[in-house]
Parts: sequence; C-alpha cells; structure tokens
Amino acid sequence: MEGARKGVLGHLNMLEMEASNLKQQDLRQSSCEEELNATLQALLRKRDQLQVEIKANTSLQKMRSLLDRTGVPCERNEDVDDQEDGSDNSQLLLMMAKHTQLKDLLHAHHLIGGYDVLQTRKGKGVCVSLATAYEGVYLETYNLEIDLGSNLRICRHNIPPFIPLERLVTQGNMQTDIRDFLDTLSQYLNAYAGRKQQLHLTKEIHSSVQVAESNALCTILVLMFTVPGEKAGATLCTLQYADHTQCLPTRVNIQSEDTALASSPQWKKNQALLLETPLHTALVTMKKTGSIA
Amino acid sequence: MDDSTNRILQRLIRRIPSQMFQTMLGKWAHLSREDLHSLDFTQPKWVLTEHLLAHCEEKGLTVKHITELEMIYIIENPNQGMWHGFQLLDAEEDAPSIELTQFKEQFKANLTELIRHVSIKIKKHTDEAIWIRVAWGDNFTKPNHLKPTYVVHHLQTPYVFVTGLTSKHKPLLNQALVLATRYGSMKDAHLSGRNLTAIRDLLMRQYQQVFPTKHPKPLQEKNPVPRNPNIEKEQAENTENRLQMACEAFGDGTLPQLQKAVYKLETKFRDNSNKTLTGREEPFRGVVEFASTNLLESLRHCVSSGMASTPVTPLLSSITQKGRNYFVITDKGV
Repeated sequence: MEGARKGVLGHLNMLEMEASNLKQQDLRQSSCEEELNATLQALLRKRDQLQVEIKANTSLQKMRSLLDRTGVPCERNEDVDDQEDGSDNSQLLLMMAKHTQLKDLLHAHHLIGGYDVLQTRKGKGVCVSLATAYEGVYLETYNLEIDLGSNLRICRHNIPPFIPLERLVTQGNMQTDIRDFLDTLSQYLNAYAGRKQQLHLTKEIHSSVQVAESNALCTILVLMFTVPGEKAGATLCTLQYADHTQCLPTRVNIQSEDTALASSPQWKKNQALLLETPLHTALVTMKKTGSIA
Repeated sequence: MDDSTNRILQRLIRRIPSQMFQTMLGKWAHLSREDLHSLDFTQPKWVLTEHLLAHCEEKGLTVKHITELEMIYIIENPNQGMWHGFQLLDAEEDAPSIELTQFKEQFKANLTELIRHVSIKIKKHTDEAIWIRVAWGDNFTKPNHLKPTYVVHHLQTPYVFVTGLTSKHKPLLNQALVLATRYGSMKDAHLSGRNLTAIRDLLMRQYQQVFPTKHPKPLQEKNPVPRNPNIEKEQAENTENRLQMACEAFGDGTLPQLQKAVYKLETKFRDNSNKTLTGREEPFRGVVEFASTNLLESLRHCVSSGMASTPVTPLLSSITQKGRNYFVITDKGV
C-alpha cells in the first residue's frame, strides 16, 4: 500500500511541479515578448529619428551648395512646397548652412597658418589662436581669450608685453572690425617671430659673427664682424628695425676702425644687401664674397 | 684701502657661500689667473679673506671694483631678498624705441640730478635684462654701499623689479626710471616674492599657459604602456576636465615660485547668526594669507584633485591672470 501511495503522491507531486513550471514558462515567455516589443519600439523610434536627420542634412547640403555657389540662400522657382513647410525651418537651415560654411572657412584659414577661433564657455567667449611662422617653419602660437559681451573684451592672453597689445585695442578697431584687428596683431607677432628666428639662425650658423647687443623685441641689433686681410680689425654693424611689422631692417650703419672701409664700394653693396635680404642669408653672401671672415 | 672698504669686502665674502666662491672670483675682472691659482680654496674662509684683502691693497682696488664682484654674485643668484614688481604706465610716443645707451645716460643723469651723492652701476645681462645697482647717500654723506638697491628692467616692457629700496628713496628712483624710459608714471604692481625669476616670469607671461584648443589630448604614443585591463577609472572625464581647468587657470608644467598671496578684506560682515557683528556700518577688516613654498603649484593641485570647486574662482585665478599677489577686496569687487 505504501509503495502505491508513494507512487500516487509522487505522481501528484510531479504533476504539480510540471504545472508550476508551465506557469513560469508562460510568465517568462510573456516577459520575453514584452522585452522584444520594447526593443522593437525603440528601434522604430530610432529609425524615424535617423530618417528625419537624413532629410535635414540633405536639405542643409542643398542649401549649403547654393550658398557656396551663388551666395544667395534660396532659389526662387524650385521647391515651392518645401517653403510652404514653414519659413522657420528654412531660416534655421540657412543659419545652419552659414554656420558650417564659417567653420570650414576658419578651418581652411587655420591650415594655411592664419588664426583659428574656438568657442569657449558655452558660447560666452571665444579663444583665438594666432600661429606664427617664418620661412616655412611654424614657430610659437599665441592665444587671446575674448569675452563676448556688449563690448568685446580681452580677458586672457599670452602675448609678450613688448608687443603693443593695449595700444592696438584702444587705438584700433577691435569692436567694429575684429578681422582687421587680428590681422594687424598677427602682422606684429609674425614680424617679431621672424626677427627672432633670424637672430637665432645667425647665432647658430654664423659663429664667427658676434652679437654685441640685442633687445627683447629684436628691433636693435649690433653685430661685430671680423674683416679678413691685413687690417684685420673689428667692424661694428648696427641694424635698426624701426617698423615693427617688418622682418627687414630700416637702417644699417657700418662703423669700423678702418675709416675708409664703410665707404668702400664693397661695403656699400653689403649695406644695401643687409637692407634687402634677411640677416642670415645676407651673411652667407657676405662670407662668400670675402667681406667677412 | 680704508676701513669702510675693508668692511664691505669682508661682508661680501661672508655672504658668498664657499661653493660658489671660486666661480665668482673667476668672473671678477680684477683678479688675474695667476692670482686665482695662487689662492688655495681648501683653506677656511677667513684665511682667504686675509689673502684677498692683502691682494686688493696691493692692487689699489677701490669700492667700485668690489661692488662689481657683488653685482656679479647677485646677478648669478637673484633669488634672495624680497623683490617687488612695478609697472610703468602711459607710454609716450618714443618709448618703444629706447635703446640701451640712451637709457643708461638718461637714468644716470636724472638720478645724479635728483640726489648728489649716489653711486650707479649699470650692466646688461645676456638675456636682455638691464641690472642697475644704486648705493644711496645724501647731500652730506657718501653713498652707503652696505645697503644697495638693485633694479632689473627689460627694455620695451613696462615692468621694473626692485629689491632693497627704502621708502625714502622710492620717489627718487621712480622719477629717474620714469624719465629714462619715457613713460608717464610708475605704480606698484602688487607682486612680490623672494624669487626674481618667478615674479618676472609671471608678469612677462613666460610660463607655459594653457588655452582651450581643438585637440586637447596630446598625441598618443605608438606603443603605449599596457594598462591593466581589470582597472577602470570611474569619472575619468571629470578628472580630465578638472585638470584642464586647473591648467587653464594656473598654467602647465613648472610654475613660477610664489610664496604668498594676501587678500585684504574690507567687506561688510554678513553671517546672520552672529548678532554682534552683523549690521554694523563699517566693513569687517580681515586679512587672508595663503603661504607655501610654491603657492601656484599647491593651488593647481587643489583644483585638479577636486579640493577646490571648479570653475576656478576668479579670486584665485587673478593671481596668474593679473600677475599680482596682494589684493584688496571690497564689496564692489576685487
């Protein structure tokens, strides 16, 4: 009797377990189904979003190519339906097209070694980086952080103090024409970098030429040459760069113990050479002609 | 050589540390090579002092020559004493084209006009800085060489750095400098420290500043150090942001060594829980002083590790942006 009861009870147990398993399976299936449904919805939404983005991008590209080609934002005859769509949309597209055009222009400008402008502090300021280069070699980059308020104001910069930044800001037209201001500043900085580089190259390449005096802005340079020959005396050459936006000197003065030297035709030619060519190349020519050791 | 000259020489030799003694004497023009070799530098300093005194007597050297040695020593080791920064204002038309000889002549002429007995020595250092040593006397006494003033100026910049200046002589020096550099006036830049290179770098912006760029991350090396894949940094972006903000406020790499920042408060007391002090008309005066061996480094670390909140408060970032370390804060602002 016990064995039969066990058998029946056992069988009943088994059936009970099977029933509960089935219920669980059902639950699991329905939760799986729910999950799959949710994924499906998410994917459908994403697809719709992407479709809208594609549409916006294509119209943006169309607008942009029109802008690039003709400078006129929209063509009168085509796409009358699109315009009915909402003039806000087309205005927005126009702004976006102009924005991308400006960004590309800035990027191109940056690539050719001009300045680059970056937005900071969520649109409340811009950072302008001015690159300097001389003879195809990139030198230092200077930065200006400008606050965009009702008046433009420079809040931070790493421009050396001997470049007259304050004078350019107050006497110049930073508020009205910032491109002009940046161009002038870039001129000053590039000229300074050029002069500094010329001095550096001269010191490196021409070790026989001694630099008697120089200043931080590289606008006054006094060099000492040794002239070969019997009258091996010292010759002092003073270069003055009165125009701070140029890399070439405005005045060259030659003094020597041998008073006739400065007025000799060879040295008159050298003087003209120093006025017209950069210092390190002029010295190479002078060495070749034998004027200096 | 009289007593005072002897004393000056003795003082100077005591001041120069023994390790630098030989190099300093080597640079001094009034000691020939043989004499230099004849001095035995392993002997104690007082013996060397005796030798030098005897040598100077022989050569008939005067105070002028001894002050040259002092100047050489100070130029090589400028980071002692307390240096103060001054700013020149209202440049005139020809200020950018002043050259060295013009400046030297003008300064000497102006200062000797203002005060008769004064000893001036001007030297141009290789990094385009002009060093001026002034020993002050007055109308009746000779210049006092034991307490000279040193002035450092870079031509075409509006900054002057001074050490050892008393308030009695300050207006005289101001006037001479202003006339010689063709500016309108000179004011205190409120920046002082023991380290001349630090305050010079701060005012002339010669430390490495950081600006927002399009490519903030440096280029990756081709073979980066393999990092443990089981360690992941949470909040890596936050840390990077904080570091970027800290570097933008204070600079990157080695920072100029400032020792102190002083904020003098003249604001009204505002805490409502203290009944006695709130509501008074006069401002509550207080002074907050931050001191450290390298203040800017500590502040930068505070910001990048999160101890100070970001964005960096303008009270702290003004130290680098305005180049000052003494601020007076009123209710209207700094």
